[in-house]
Formats: sequence, C-alpha cells, structure tokens
Amino acid sequence: MAHRKWSRYPRAPFYLFVSPWVLGFLALTAVPLAYAFVISLTNFDGSSPRWRWVGFRNYVELFGDGSAWAALIRTIAYTALAVPLSVAGSLGLATLLNRRLKAVGLWRTIFFLPSVVPVVATAILWKLVLNRDAGILNTLLGAVGIDRISWLGDPAAFYSLILLTLWGLGGGMVIMLAALQGVPPELEEAAIVDGAGRWRVFRHVTLPMISPVVFFQIATGVIASLQIIVQPLLLAETNNISTIAAVPESTHVYMVQVYEEYFLRNRFGYGSAMLWVFFLVILVFTLLVQRSTRSWVYYEVDGDADR
Amino acid sequence: MTRSSGLISRRRLLASAAVAAGGVATGGLLSACNAGSSGGSGGKGNLTVMIGVQDLPKEMIADFEKKNPGIKITLLQHDATRLNAMLASGNPPDISVAGAVGSANVNARGLATDLTPYLEKSRVLKKDDLLPVNDSFRWDGSRSGRGAYYGVVKDWSQDATLWYNTALFDRAKVPYLSDTQPTSYDDLLAVAKRLTVKSGGTTKVFGLGLEWAWNLIAPMTMMVLQQGEQLYNDDLTEVDFTTAAARRAFGWYVEFARAGVGPTSLNPLPDVSDQSTFSAKRMAITQDGYWFGGNFVEDTALRDSIRMAPAPVMGDKRISPCYSGQGLWIPAKSKHKDEAWKFMEYYLAGEPAETRAKSGWGLPSLKPLLPKLPQTLPYQKQAYTVAQNELRYAGALPDSPYITLDAWNAVIDKSLQRAIKNEQTVDAACAALTREANKLLKQGKEQVS
Repeated sequence: MAHRKWSRYPRAPFYLFVSPWVLGFLALTAVPLAYAFVISLTNFDGSSPRWRWVGFRNYVELFGDGSAWAALIRTIAYTALAVPLSVAGSLGLATLLNRRLKAVGLWRTIFFLPSVVPVVATAILWKLVLNRDAGILNTLLGAVGIDRISWLGDPAAFYSLILLTLWGLGGGMVIMLAALQGVPPELEEAAIVDGAGRWRVFRHVTLPMISPVVFFQIATGVIASLQIIVQPLLLAETNNISTIAAVPESTHVYMVQVYEEYFLRNRFGYGSAMLWVFFLVILVFTLLVQRSTRSWVYYEVDGDADR
Repeated sequence: MTRSSGLISRRRLLASAAVAAGGVATGGLLSACNAGSSGGSGGKGNLTVMIGVQDLPKEMIADFEKKNPGIKITLLQHDATRLNAMLASGNPPDISVAGAVGSANVNARGLATDLTPYLEKSRVLKKDDLLPVNDSFRWDGSRSGRGAYYGVVKDWSQDATLWYNTALFDRAKVPYLSDTQPTSYDDLLAVAKRLTVKSGGTTKVFGLGLEWAWNLIAPMTMMVLQQGEQLYNDDLTEVDFTTAAARRAFGWYVEFARAGVGPTSLNPLPDVSDQSTFSAKRMAITQDGYWFGGNFVEDTALRDSIRMAPAPVMGDKRISPCYSGQGLWIPAKSKHKDEAWKFMEYYLAGEPAETRAKSGWGLPSLKPLLPKLPQTLPYQKQAYTVAQNELRYAGALPDSPYITLDAWNAVIDKSLQRAIKNEQTVDAACAALTREANKLLKQGKEQVS
C-alpha cells in the first residue's frame, strides 16, 4: 500500500474497527503499566491500607541492589546462550527436515511435538529425568561409572534450564521450515551452477533470503528469554520452605527476583519499580536487535508496490 | 485536516487516543489507589472460609449451616499466594487460617479484625477460657503477646517434641529416648546417624526428620534461647546470627544436612512432610508436636511401636515452644464479620473443637477442652504423659512484625544451602545471613511504620 493520506479514511468505520484492539490495549496494557508505575512510587505491600508515597526511592534502592543486578546479569547470560542455541538449533532441524526423506512428515511431527506440550508437563518430565537420586540420566551415567550429578542444584541447574528451553525447538523449527520452503530454488541452483558449494549456497543465498524470519525468531526469543520465570520456578526442587520454591542461585533470574519481591516480601512498590526498569531494559535490547537488522536482514522490495 | 468532517486526521486520532488512555488510566488508578474499598465475598450470609480442606469436611459444613440457617459456607483451600491476591484485591475471605506465631506481621499491617469485643460478649468462646498460646495472636500496636486479640488458635503443640519408631530403634540397637529428660541436640544427631540406613547411594531409612520444609526460624530461635541468648534485639528490628549461640544452632543444621541423616531442601521429600515417610517406616525420628499422634489412631501397623519424647535442648535452658499454633482470623475487610464470628464460635468452641481434642490432633486452645485429650491407646497414654510434662517448659518465641515467616525461612534456607555445599564457612554464612535478614527487617520496618 502506497502512502495514502490519513484524511482519505472515513472516521467512523476506522474507530469501529480499531476499537477492540485499542480498548484491549488500554485495559490490559496501558492501564496496568501506568498503575504499576504509580505503585512503584509507594511502599504499598499489596494489601495493607497503610501505604504512603515514597517518590523515586524504590528506583534509587534498585540501582544499589546487588542481588537485582546479579539476577539481571544472570538473565542476560541465559538469553545470550539460549537464544543463539534455539535459533541455530531450530534452523539446523529445519534444514535437516527440508529435504526429501522417507516419512519426513512423521519426523517433523516428532520434533514438533515437544513444543506443544504444556510447560508444566515438560518441567515435570525433566524433573523426573534430572532427579539426582532417581533420575534416568544419573542412572545412565552411573552405569558408565560417572558419579551422580545434582542437575537441579547449583551450578548445573543453569544448564538444565537451557536444556529445558531447547526441548521446545519444534515451534521455531516449523517457522524456519516455512521460511526455507519459501526460498526460490532457482536462486540456489544458479549459485550451484556458478560453482558455489553447499555451505556457500546456504551462507550467501539461503540465509539472506530467510533473514527476516531469523530476525523475528531472535527478537521474540530475546524478549521471551529475558522474561523467563515459569521454568526456573518449576524446575526448582519443591521444598515448601516458602510459598516459592527454592530456586537455585544459578537460575535465580530477574523475574524470579521480582516474583519474590511481590509474593515473598510483599514489596509491591519495589517489585513494580523492578518491572518498570526491566521494561526499559527489554525495550533497549529489542531496539538494539532491531537496529542491527540494517546490516544483516535482507528484505525483498516489491517493485510493483507503487503502481 | 481543518474542518470537522467524517474523515479521520492524524492529530485527532492521537488526541483521542491520549484522552482515552488518560481517562481509562486515571479511572484505573483512582480505583487502584483505593484498592480494597469495594468487593465482598458474595451475597448476604455467604461466608467464605479459607482453610485446609481436610480441616473442614462437608459434614461439618452441613452441620454448621443446619445450626445457622441463612449462612452458607464457601470453602477455599488455604493458599498463601491466593490469600495475598484476595487481600490485594480488597476481596478477602471472611475467615482465614494462620499461625498465631507469625501473626505479628499481618497485625502490624492492619489486615486483621480486632476480636476482643466479640470475645468479651461471647458466651461460647470466652476470653477467660483462652490458654496462653492465644497470646501470640495478640497485638498492642507495636508487639505481639499483649493487647487486643486478632485471632484464636484452633489447636497447637509444642512443636519441637519428637516422635520415634521403636522398631527401628530396636533394629539399630539404639536405646529409647527418655519420656521426661530431653536429649541434647548433639546426642540426637549422633543417634540419628546410627539409625540411618543407606544402600547403594540411596537412603533406606532416615534417622531424623526435622520438617525442614516447614520452618527454620522457629527451631533456630529456640536453640538460641536454650543457650540463654537472644536472636533479636529488644525492639525486634535486628537479628544477630554471628553470636556463638546462633552459630552453634546454624552449624548444627549444617552438620545435620551434611551427615545425610534426614531430608533437607537440598534433598527434599516429594510431599514436603515427614509423615508419609515416617508412616512407611522409613524414618526413625521426626520432630513434630503432639498433634502428630493423631495420624496413628487407625494405623494398627505402627501405633504399637511409636512413642513421643520431649523437645531436645541445645543449652542449659529447657524451653519447648509452639512454632505456629494454627488458628482463625477475620480479615479487616471481611463483609460478614458477625457471621464469621458465629463460625469461629462453632469451630473453635463447639462440637468440632471437642472432636479435635478427643482425636489428639493437637492440644486444644481452650482450658475446658484440655481433659478431653485421648488416653485410650497405649501410645496415646504415653504421649499424653509426655505432653503434660512438657507443658511446664512452654515458652513463647519472639515474633517480629517486620518480616514474614516465608521471607525468614527462604533467607535462612539459602544461607544454609551455601554452607552445606561448602560455598561458605558457617561463620561466613552466619555473617551473610545477618546482613540479609537485617536488610529484610529494615525494609519491613519501613513498610509497616
């Protein structure tokens, strides 16, 4: 669509059609955001009528809170490891399954299935596999003389969390597969005719052609990874020592810390300040990823667009 | 766009959006800042009770509704997170269960109803009948133990007492524990090591269970008190785990965990309770109060080989406190306080209370119910004798209003884990725990002051 002037749209239908989204956005995003910001300026504990305004004190405290910074660094480390592995893994799987194999549909289904299993069921499954005393993994390792490893405790819990994340590669694989199948075969064939090997074809033809999809995977992956909370809580060894499972330090990510501030320490004000700062952090990361696209994402321009 | 037509303009769109957003946000914020001013627990006479489902069976609900026509009970399974959410939304249950020890934080935050006027008027649940354990529900505006009543205990125990399986003692050729003299914590650990049975890297029989998953601050506070020291300062705003007494208590827990004689947060039981493991004869001793005996009335396989023993001691001062004392309280924003009180009268002083007392599920919190405790079975007689003797050493634990039990237990557990895994020495872990706990206390004080 070329640049139509705003004044060419009739007003009533426009508002009518956008109103469901606008109302949803206002009620479910804008208002909670504003509410959280207001709460972040108080010492509200979530239930007591005895709260008061504290200005930006929660933010000042946050910038000096070593445990929050440590949790943020841990979260970024997780993201830095999980996102590339997820994207590369799903691209690798998609490449493997984008060929004429026997029962290729069955293979695709098998790889896709774990991503449709609810995260709670997946976490329970992996808790059983990774259990130190009764888990199948340690049983197998024990058979070859390797001592039991506490996969759900520090420091291995971090890698167990990565493993749990990679278990759901199937969703990304399907998207990558769709992208790969959208690459015109004549382009790859032309490159082969010009003497390019498999890797060079993939690197210089296939990858640029699917780069918008790779970008989409990276952007959504970064946002989701930074916000991870459910998996660390579910993977923690349940011990009821509090209403919150004792999350090992290596998987004590930023959102777990926020959760603790809210529901363990009843510090809704401080927790809201943490969330607002985190919102800005995620925004910055997303903008950085977006900004980087200029150098590596290739968009085909539709030459007929302005006709 | 210069005239008002049926067409849209960018400026008008943005202005409309801003006005709408501002309007909705302002409305939302105004109601948010007045959180808790609206809502209720349903129609007239509909009473929402948040308690363990096992503590309020259907028959009991039916009986109450029959005796109190017009009042309908909605039962909610007790869940701390859900309760917090309900309190935050201004729509709390009409009654909730909670520990008397640990209620200071709730009371300091102004969340509970003062029950003193009800107690003074009631002919069923009378102030004069309350046993001292109920004092933990009292709050005078600055500390617990005195002032108005904000809850009433349903049943309680001196929770540091021990229950043990004599068959497992016999198998390990370990002499039984005394019915009257407390064992020292050091001896208890030594006995636990002898009772523990391991095979192929797994534990077949745990020597000792501490209900680690339930509470860490109470037993540690007790250990420090038994050594004649205090964990808290006078106004309960600071703690010190670096004293010799506190380090000894903390170190004992570390040694217990490293010895592998019982469940810990690093090696937890799947159901976060010692009871099923003890009942399966896979635990020789468990640290549980008198209430624990209620589990074995029907258990013919085990009841002939269980005994109760006094709470162990770490120093020269014998103290056997109540760690919790589960009871009922009425949230300040309850819409049915009078009906809630009727339920409390029924549940805490009526037939259910008598039934609980007779069953041995804890000690009653009312004087007239004390004689109802069971003494039919041999183990019940033995436990009754031990419990009566133990009452002479009952003592109250300090309850700071500036920290929740959940926060306490989480911070202690993390410090213990660091020490158990040798990431820190006991001294370093105690110093770190002191810093972290005092930070929480400072935050809490700021929050409720």
